[in-house]
Parts: sequence; C-alpha cells; structure tokens
Amino acid sequence: MKRLETDDNTVSRQKIGIAEYAVVTDETILITSGLGSCLGIVLYDPQNTVSGMIHVMLPSVDQARDTNPAKFVDTGLPLLIDEMEAAGADPSGLRAWIVGGSEMLNFEFGGESIGSRNIAMASQMLDDLDLTLVDSDVGGGHGRSIQFDPAAEAVSIRTADESTRAI
Amino acid sequence: MKVDIRELGQFNHLASQGAKRAARSLSQLTGVQMDVEVTDVSLVTENVLAETFTGQSFVGVELGLQGGLEGETVLAFERERALKLQDLLLQATGSSDELAQSSVTELGNIMIGGFIDGWANHLGEAINMTPPKYTEAVGPRILPDQAIEAAKNHGVFLFESKLKAMDIDLDFSIYMLPEYRQFVDLLSGTEQGNQIPVNRLSAFEDLAKEGAGNAAGQIGMMTGLDTDVDISRLRFVPLRGVPRQVGDDRFVGVVFELKGLPSGYLVVLFDEASAKRVASSMMPGGSGEDGIGTMTEGAIKELGNIMTSGFIDGWANVLGTSIEHTPPNFVHDMGSAIMSPVVGKLGKQQDYAFVIDSTIEIDGHQGRCDIYALPNERELARALSALPART
Repeated sequence: MKRLETDDNTVSRQKIGIAEYAVVTDETILITSGLGSCLGIVLYDPQNTVSGMIHVMLPSVDQARDTNPAKFVDTGLPLLIDEMEAAGADPSGLRAWIVGGSEMLNFEFGGESIGSRNIAMASQMLDDLDLTLVDSDVGGGHGRSIQFDPAAEAVSIRTADESTRAI
Repeated sequence: MKVDIRELGQFNHLASQGAKRAARSLSQLTGVQMDVEVTDVSLVTENVLAETFTGQSFVGVELGLQGGLEGETVLAFERERALKLQDLLLQATGSSDELAQSSVTELGNIMIGGFIDGWANHLGEAINMTPPKYTEAVGPRILPDQAIEAAKNHGVFLFESKLKAMDIDLDFSIYMLPEYRQFVDLLSGTEQGNQIPVNRLSAFEDLAKEGAGNAAGQIGMMTGLDTDVDISRLRFVPLRGVPRQVGDDRFVGVVFELKGLPSGYLVVLFDEASAKRVASSMMPGGSGEDGIGTMTEGAIKELGNIMTSGFIDGWANVLGTSIEHTPPNFVHDMGSAIMSPVVGKLGKQQDYAFVIDSTIEIDGHQGRCDIYALPNERELARALSALPART
C-alpha cells in the first residue's frame, strides 16, 4: 500500500505528552502542549543534528511513589541526555532551552510552587552538567505550548491568547 | 468482589501500550501520522453507555476475544470519519468501494491485533481472536449485545483509547469490553493491595452523578438558565492523560483543593462564551464586559464556590468523613495547562487517578460547563472500603 498524501508530508511532527520524551535525528518538529507548572526541556546537538524534548512534571524523584524517570527533572534530564548520546549526540555539545514552570494556582498550604521548584532544579542541573542554556521562557502565571524546529534551531512558544514568540 | 487499584493500573497501561501499537500499524499502512490521545477505563452502566453513544452513527469493526482474556473489542468510527478513512484507503489502493470496506475491516483486524498483543504475555495465557466483523449502527448498538446486557445487570468495564491523526481531521476510538466475571477475577490482586469493593465503586459513581445534578441546579438557581447534566462518568485514567483529555482550548474556571478524606482537587471549567453568558445572567442588566474581566471573574468564583459545595455535599455524608475546600483559584488559560499543577500535585503519590468527569449543558446547547473531580486515589479507596457492606 502506498503512502497517503497528507496536508504536509515534507516535515513530520511528533507530539510529546506529560512525562514523555522523544529523540529524533532528522528535522522532525517536536511539540508539547499544556505546560503549566510542568517544564519543557529541549536539547539540541547542532553538530550531529540530534534533538530531544522532555515534558517533566515534578522536580525530583525523591519521596515520590512513582518512579517513571520521564516524570521528574532530576531523572528525566539524564535520561534524555543518555538517549540522545545513544542516537549519536555529543553530550558536551548540547544546547538547551527551558520553558514553562509557571504558577497557575495558589493554594494556602502549598509551600513553594511546583513550577518554581521545577525551574530551580533544571537550571541547577544544566549548570552542573555545564550545558549551554540558549534561552528560557519560564515562570509567570500562564500556560504555554511549545514546538522545537531543528532546522531553525528555535523554540516557538504559544500562549492561550494565541500570541507566539520564538526563543 | 474487590478490585486492586494497582491491577487496574496495569491493565490500563496494557491498553495504552496496545493503542500505541495499533496507531503505529495504522501509520505504517496509510502514512497518516496517528497520536494516542488518552486511554481510560470505567465501570459503566447501561445509562452511561446510552449517554456516551446516543445520537451518533457509527461504523465499526468488531472482534471477539477468547482464552486468557474473554470479551469483545470494537474499533469504532463516527460514520463521517469512517467514510473519510475509506476515501483515504481508496486513494491509496485505487480500488473499489467494496474493497475499501473490506480494507477497513482488515485495518481493524490488524489494529486490534496490535492492541491485544502484549496482553497474552502479561496474563501468561494465549488470547484468540474471532474473525473481524464489519458493523454499522446508531448509538450504543455499535457495541456487542453481550456487553449491553452485562451493563444492564452489573455494569461493564469499558476501556476506551482515543486516536487522532496529527495532520488531517480523523479520529476514532478503540473500545474493549472484557467479560465481567473473568476480568474482576483478574483485577482482584492481593489482600495487601489497595482494594475497592466493586459495588462501592458504582455507589460512588451514583454519588458523583447526584453531585453533578446539585451543581447543575446551583447554576440554574444563580443564573435563571435551564441546566441539565449531559454526562457524568467515573473514569480511571493515567494522571498524565488528564490534561490531554481536557485539551488545549482556552477555558475560564476555578480550581479548588479538597481537604479531608478523600483529599484531592475539583476543577470547574467553562468555555469563554459560556463563562460570559453565565456571568452576565448573574448580574442585573448583564455584565457589559467585553472580554473576561474582573466582573466575570467575580461571578465565576462565586458560582464555582456554590457548585463545589453542592458537588461534594453528599460525599461526606455517605463516606462518614469530613471534606472541606479551599477558596476558589480563578483560572483563564489553556485547559491542559490548568490541569498541569493539579496532576503535578497528585503525581507525587499516584500514577493513575479516578476522575469524575461531568458535563452540564446550559440553556439547551448554548453553553456548557465541565466539572472534574480528582480525589486522592488511596484515600478514596480507604474511605470506600471502610463503608459498611450494603445489603
């Protein structure tokens, strides 16, 4: 059976859900939506054209019952780097973008918000790993959807009011 | 008969993996990129089946399962979508209508095969599939008769995986309805697990339905508009599927944290037009606001407060516990992002959630409101298990 024509058959796109990640070695556009307190982390190796994106929910696997590594910043980021290395990336040459971590809700006894803890953990880890943070769009009180286009080496961010910006 | 939450999670995971395999086979066969939106499982009654399927015309491919897992699997398309798929298959193969119909059947066969793959491994026993059957029906009749009969008697477990094409307008669902008694046995797990007696799960669903009725009544009282509970279901879903289920459209609403037994979250969402309509009806002379401003915010918060009290009112009585809620957190953003901190908070302790999902229609089809209640899974299990046995 031959392939069907679709609206756009030149560049494929891949959607990443919460606590999921994807690694691609072509120009597939990586997309994730509904980043509220969650964090979207994009890594890209321009030398070997390996792109990775992960949508993490929480800062740390500590004290959590569930151990899906893609759910947490502290286990998800190393997992993404490992998978990208396996796909041919040079871990020391990765460029990073982080988006999300907003404070959508304000509860009485919540302590520091999940969003700000996610941002702090990701920034700390990128720093420890000595990776270049190209840009970030974090915090605030609004949701974001993002897509990473390897061909443009840019992350575009869409918010609920339909405004978009690229970083 | 009791079900173990962890076993229910296992089976949901199998269904979710199966749906991904089914989506891959469709992508390979047709070149259409498919995405699995969400997989949920619920114990549904005849009424819920009717609410879920009524008024729609379906084309389906049905296969029976025998052996390690008995029951029925149905790949169901809304009629228009099925015609679209037939067109796509026609284009791809250049064949006749008849062949396109048989290729839909064959496609169903391959996809359901992919869906079931992996279940046999988990169960350690072979699962045989009966030959695929092409069916067309209106409403719940798209499901096998045995399943509808079971839903009348004691309820039936309904697995639903929604698949959506990424670049074209094509979506459909894979349903699996395992044979009730065998499946309850498979779900029984161990005494140490978090077990919930099956009949209390349906009792809780009735409670939720009553709560939705109360909340609808409150909207009616505050706005003077007609309201009606369109649908109310208790689903068991992977937490991370919740934001996807709500979707990326922009909503106006309120989020409450529940404290007590069970603790959890309650989210009330209106689409923007419905929010404006409802807020305007609450103010003498209308709100006169262009967009969603402070007046609408105030009205939605006030309404949300009253609806939430109405919604959870019955819980504490029936469960014999005390449940309170925080003041409303106003939200106006994409639905999936609103849900993100809620699933984040629950996600520390659990990977799946019981979601009570109710839709209220306002003023006919003019407006709608969705209520999502996400109780802490273990606390809900504890509270339900502690109930005295019903006779």
